[in-house]
Amino acid sequence: MVYYITAILLILIGMYAILTKKNIIKIVIGLSIVDSGVNLLLISIGYIKNGTAPIFSVEGLTPDKMVDPIPQALVLTAIVIGLGVTAVALSLVIRLYDHHKTLNINKIRKLKW
Amino acid sequence: MNFSPVHFIAVPLLAAFLIPIIGRFSKEVVKLIPGAVLLYLSYVAISLYPHTLQKPIVEIIAGFKPPFGITLYYGPLAAFLVTMIMIVGFVIWLYSYKFIIREPLEKYYMLFLLVIAGAAGIMITGDIFNMFVFLEITSIAAYSLTAFLRDKDGAEAAFKYLLIGSFSSTFYLIAVMLIYANTGTLNIADIATKMQSVPNQPKIFIMILFMVGFGIESELFPLNGWAPDAYSQAPSPIGGVFGGIVVKASTYAMMRFAFVLFDFRSTFEFILVMGVITMVIAEMSAMRQQQIKRMLAFSSIGQMGLVMIAFGVGTDASVQAALFQIFNHAIIKTLLFLAAGYLVFHSGSKKISALDGLGHNKPITSFFFALGALAIIGLPPFAGFWSKLYILTSTAKGGFLTVIVLILISGIIEAVYYLRVVSRLYFKKDVSKDSVRRTPLSGIVAMGVLAIVIILIGFYPHLILEYIQPAAHDLIDKASYIKFGLLN
Repeated sequence: MVYYITAILLILIGMYAILTKKNIIKIVIGLSIVDSGVNLLLISIGYIKNGTAPIFSVEGLTPDKMVDPIPQALVLTAIVIGLGVTAVALSLVIRLYDHHKTLNINKIRKLKW
Repeated sequence: MNFSPVHFIAVPLLAAFLIPIIGRFSKEVVKLIPGAVLLYLSYVAISLYPHTLQKPIVEIIAGFKPPFGITLYYGPLAAFLVTMIMIVGFVIWLYSYKFIIREPLEKYYMLFLLVIAGAAGIMITGDIFNMFVFLEITSIAAYSLTAFLRDKDGAEAAFKYLLIGSFSSTFYLIAVMLIYANTGTLNIADIATKMQSVPNQPKIFIMILFMVGFGIESELFPLNGWAPDAYSQAPSPIGGVFGGIVVKASTYAMMRFAFVLFDFRSTFEFILVMGVITMVIAEMSAMRQQQIKRMLAFSSIGQMGLVMIAFGVGTDASVQAALFQIFNHAIIKTLLFLAAGYLVFHSGSKKISALDGLGHNKPITSFFFALGALAIIGLPPFAGFWSKLYILTSTAKGGFLTVIVLILISGIIEAVYYLRVVSRLYFKKDVSKDSVRRTPLSGIVAMGVLAIVIILIGFYPHLILEYIQPAAHDLIDKASYIKFGLLN
């Protein structure tokens, strides 16, 4: 239970940062906090207390003592994707700073509905 | 020859990774690769189509049988949409051939192929996590393409798109996770069989997460704030890519989930209501735009609202109408973006007011724009007329009379703002001094192909209807999706 609460808390903290911070680097940090939260949530779904790796390595090891490997495989993929998104975001931040000479999102708003 | 649906994903991905290497030796070869790839894939798509009619092709990846491994489900619906995006992609490549002259060329074509691979992947895959991966491939390539011109506004639009897009993928990933926690599987067909035993509360929560996740990419109100900026700041052919390919892929995903996983009445009512709101607000916003590409972007949102309405009605006839509208929107909106690209280029400004009298100076491009405008309003004898007519009749049969009134009113608004542009093109005095630059042949051929398709379907709608009927059955028939998806 504590894993779920921590993960959801992380997601909420990240979203708070994205929605309220004015500095675009902080917004990108918020994005990656949300990513970590989601990854943690995914991992905790497959987690079993005192579980081991899902390999039949020891005599008498039954499947109910093993953690679920699928969420872990998913998280590996999700981490890589999160890294890619963060990299693109930071490169856009560099571009924005080059053009506007500021990181304040309130000053970067030429485009409107 | 023995083709497989894997080609639609593997070939463009491979080409995309080879392009930067080949680009070191020859720029000319780089320009030709996407055309060759897309031509080949269009051929594969067309030659696979008859097989899908007998039985959907289910491809098992790496030898793990469903529900354990990743499967590709290539039924008539996927075949129809994949063929559509491959051909639209080829036309956009043809247009880009002379239009994109800025460096870095190889990055443009690499990202373009990645968008195609991702969109095809979303349409083909039978695994929800795999779909997340393809969604991310498509979106990351789309963010980068938005900022391709390296200007001030491009970076801003791309950053906005990235923020909203990351939200969408986060919501989608949480939904995937909840589904896995509740059913213990990731295969869509397998989830559909186990969804019955999931209690209603998590089910509705998952549905909302899905709708938010894909609603952002399919431009559902109020999640479409990224669209006007991204469409107008990206290079013009990329506007066609967004409208014709990216949005279609996520609309497909949304519909597949609605029909297979969440097939209760309130889902469709929700889609219907959101479609109406999206359409009305988008058409009203399009009315007051000063820039031509922003206007087209809002019109594109409005058209997707119309598609959602037809899906939301949820009958066999209305799903066919929606697929017809998806096809028409893909070809007509692409034509409009391609024509607008050269109009903007010739007039040197993105403003609508700068287009005065271009119809005399640049007759061919203006003609294509006018044709596209008339087609999208829904005037006969163009393709747009039939899909709008089918949407109206099927909505009427469903008994949603208020919706019909709103569709017709939006149609009038649409006519007003499109005809405003067309009248500026033809009935104003020519103010431009530029008569040297001409629209290159590749651009004219690209637009000409789309225009011919629009007129042809306008006169012979059954040409396309015979492909739409099996596709619509494939979407509605949940039982056969489960049966073939699990290889029973």
